[in-house]
Amino acid sequence: MNPKINVTDYEPIVGKSYIEELRMLAGRLSGKTILNINSTLVGGGVAEILSRLVPLLNQLGVDVRWQIISGDAQFFEVTKKLHNALHGKDESISDDEFSLFLETTERNLNQIDFSGDILLIHDPQPVALIAKKGDIGRKWIWRCHIDISHPDSRVWEFLKQFVINYDAGVLSSPNFAQELPIRQFFAPPSIDPLSDKNKELPAEAVDAVLAKYGLNRDKPLILQVSRFDWLKDPLGVIKAFELVRKNFACQLVLAGGTASDDPESGEVLEEVKERAGGNPDIHILDIPPGSDIDINALQRAATIIMQKSLREGFALTITEALWKAKPVVASAVGGIPLQVRNRLTGLLCHSIEGAAYASRQILANPEYGRWLGHNGREHIRQHFLITREIRDYLLIFLTLEHKEDVIYL
Amino acid sequence: MAIIEWLRVNWLNIAIPVFVFLGVFFISLWLRRVVYNALERWLKEGKTEIGTIIISVTRGPFLHWLLILGAYIALQVSVLISVLKPESRNLGGKILASIFIAYFGWILIRLSRELIQFYLNKTKAPQRVIMVTISIVQVTIIVIGVLILLELWGAPMTPILIVLIAAIIVAILVFRDIFPSLVSGFQLTQQKQIKTGDLIRLESGEEGRVEEITWRNTQIKTLEGNIIIIPNTKLMQTTIINYGKQPEVAKEPFQFSTRLHLKELTGLSAGNLSQLASRLKEVPDAVVYYHTHSFIEEYQFLTPEPTNDFALWVQDALGYDILAERLASIDTFEFPTVGALRQMIIGVIQDFLAQTSHEREAPSGNEFHFIKSISIVLPTPYVAHDLQEFVSILRRISIGSLYFHIFEAKLRLQRGTNDFSRWLEECLGEKELAEQITRLDPYNYTMENLREIIIQLCEKRL
Repeated sequence: MNPKINVTDYEPIVGKSYIEELRMLAGRLSGKTILNINSTLVGGGVAEILSRLVPLLNQLGVDVRWQIISGDAQFFEVTKKLHNALHGKDESISDDEFSLFLETTERNLNQIDFSGDILLIHDPQPVALIAKKGDIGRKWIWRCHIDISHPDSRVWEFLKQFVINYDAGVLSSPNFAQELPIRQFFAPPSIDPLSDKNKELPAEAVDAVLAKYGLNRDKPLILQVSRFDWLKDPLGVIKAFELVRKNFACQLVLAGGTASDDPESGEVLEEVKERAGGNPDIHILDIPPGSDIDINALQRAATIIMQKSLREGFALTITEALWKAKPVVASAVGGIPLQVRNRLTGLLCHSIEGAAYASRQILANPEYGRWLGHNGREHIRQHFLITREIRDYLLIFLTLEHKEDVIYL
Repeated sequence: MAIIEWLRVNWLNIAIPVFVFLGVFFISLWLRRVVYNALERWLKEGKTEIGTIIISVTRGPFLHWLLILGAYIALQVSVLISVLKPESRNLGGKILASIFIAYFGWILIRLSRELIQFYLNKTKAPQRVIMVTISIVQVTIIVIGVLILLELWGAPMTPILIVLIAAIIVAILVFRDIFPSLVSGFQLTQQKQIKTGDLIRLESGEEGRVEEITWRNTQIKTLEGNIIIIPNTKLMQTTIINYGKQPEVAKEPFQFSTRLHLKELTGLSAGNLSQLASRLKEVPDAVVYYHTHSFIEEYQFLTPEPTNDFALWVQDALGYDILAERLASIDTFEFPTVGALRQMIIGVIQDFLAQTSHEREAPSGNEFHFIKSISIVLPTPYVAHDLQEFVSILRRISIGSLYFHIFEAKLRLQRGTNDFSRWLEECLGEKELAEQITRLDPYNYTMENLREIIIQLCEKRL
């Protein structure tokens, strides 16, 4: 996180009273220490979220700390399998691997300094640290950032024995909820409006990026940002674009990267390039990780932002697109319907033809597109910015001691 | 005997100065009467109190000054008739002039004090401003008087003037910050731009009541209860909106609270209408409340806002347009409790089910997930003591605060009506205004529109 960013910098975005309320809540946590534990300090979504949340919470006066568990490569191979299995992927995990998971947890139980009043444990890797609760008590929260709506039952049963000992769970979507004896709170992910990927850019910066990738500034631009993965249906996007292009002169940009831990992504990229053929209006951009300004500029230059995924997590790329007041056309999968209320904050589709039809509606009615974009931005402002995530965490910390539905603090 | 002889020879030399003195004395008495009678007549017509002050302060001394003048003329005459030597006349003249200057200066000091007090009290200037102004004028008169006396007695003036100028420069440097404040304080009170008790809004957006205006600063108590001290010089340079004096004070102040909320997942879901109705019977009130109110906060920016979650799901996931319409048209505003609202929703669904032979299933991943609303209520620093403060605070409170006092208070906390109407009627006697706000159906407005309408209704009463 940019060290110059201060919590007051968010006042012009969410309003002074919003920040005042955050300070009021933070004041109620005075004297409490919150300890975050996850598996890595850098790389990955959780580390990125924490690197932004922890300094902001500290600025608000909350004593928030952050520790990581240690483990060897074998341990992290096991946790990767657990992660995939929770996503519903078939994984064969042996008893030895479960034992390795528990042994590593045992070592961390002896190494970690658990000095905190509230312990916020992120994702499955450190979930078994809850064993310490028997010794030290305190309040424990399990923050699950991943989709557990259709978990592998064996893996879930294994993890559930730890999860049920927490005081509360925090999930990113209502359909991730499980029938559990503990309280489960809904706190969707968020974006940081001041990050490189989302901050305002001058027109010159946007033009420079378009020039860099050889894109035409004057032609309507349909953009999909996602890594090259079959689940993001890049070929479906090309088909939809071809249907739209029959009536409207426009260009398509598929911008993304190939993941080193996903051998399939290179193959997908090659096939997408082949499918695009020599069409000069289709631009396949293999953008390296960390090119946040480039992505930001492409999103700002786009006329329509598409996310025609077949399966999706929360889809933060849609959050980013809506924040830039762009009309979006997206599949009704994963966390997308939480962000895109059909015909109010964007257009939902269920097929290639549906995506093409929605795109044509927007291209033919630019005013309608602007209205959708405006609504989308306001929707994100109220529900999916980092300030809301901070507020949710503060509220969850304060709610742990209360069982009633209306709590007077 | 020698004295008698001397008097016999020189009686004329004595009598002439004495006659001159007495003559001047009697002429002075006459002159004073004429002058002061004329002044009094003029004052009666003009009705000015300043003239009265001048007369009361100078009437006695005026005669004394003329007596001194008489003595001075007699002294000059005695020289002309060679009674006194010129050296004695000079000495006597200087003594008389010194007495006159000191006496005149003293009266001038008294007069200036009376006039300054009268004028500044009339402008309601702070006491400190009056005292400092009087001191400055008194010191000025004394310094001028002393300079004239020194000049009269032939003292060397150049070094004295240099010392005096240096002292003035030092004083200006020392008090360079005080003078502008003093002038600004004076201007503030004199021009009556703001007064103690006024509710003002500063350029910076801060609002509050003027607690005190001193000769240097103005103290403002903000609506959040903080004290802001602003130098008068800065206050004079900034744009101020003055809402005026405090209107009628409420019996009890209104403490604004704010409501933040968490969404608690129940783990319960429904894939078709029967399940929806069945779950609805067993879930807590907080779940029904969430799904009939979440749209108000979720889509504040849309006009009109979408409808309740049940109607949306029935339409989007199940495609039952008619049922969706019926559920959307349930007037939440009519229901005094969440329980009554729940019964109505279940009734509408069951009526529809009774006429449906084949139930539709929601597509996988589009099930209805029951969510519970957890409200966290906190007091804000905002407290309104009167209608004016109430409106000012209403402009700046969060949507959460507005939501709590309007929606949550009536239905969830079952207070019968919204908090604003209750306070306006019970603590301010604003029965009509309270009824107007009670009659508003808040479900028909966006939160910002609702805020604006309530402000407008209140402003009509101000």
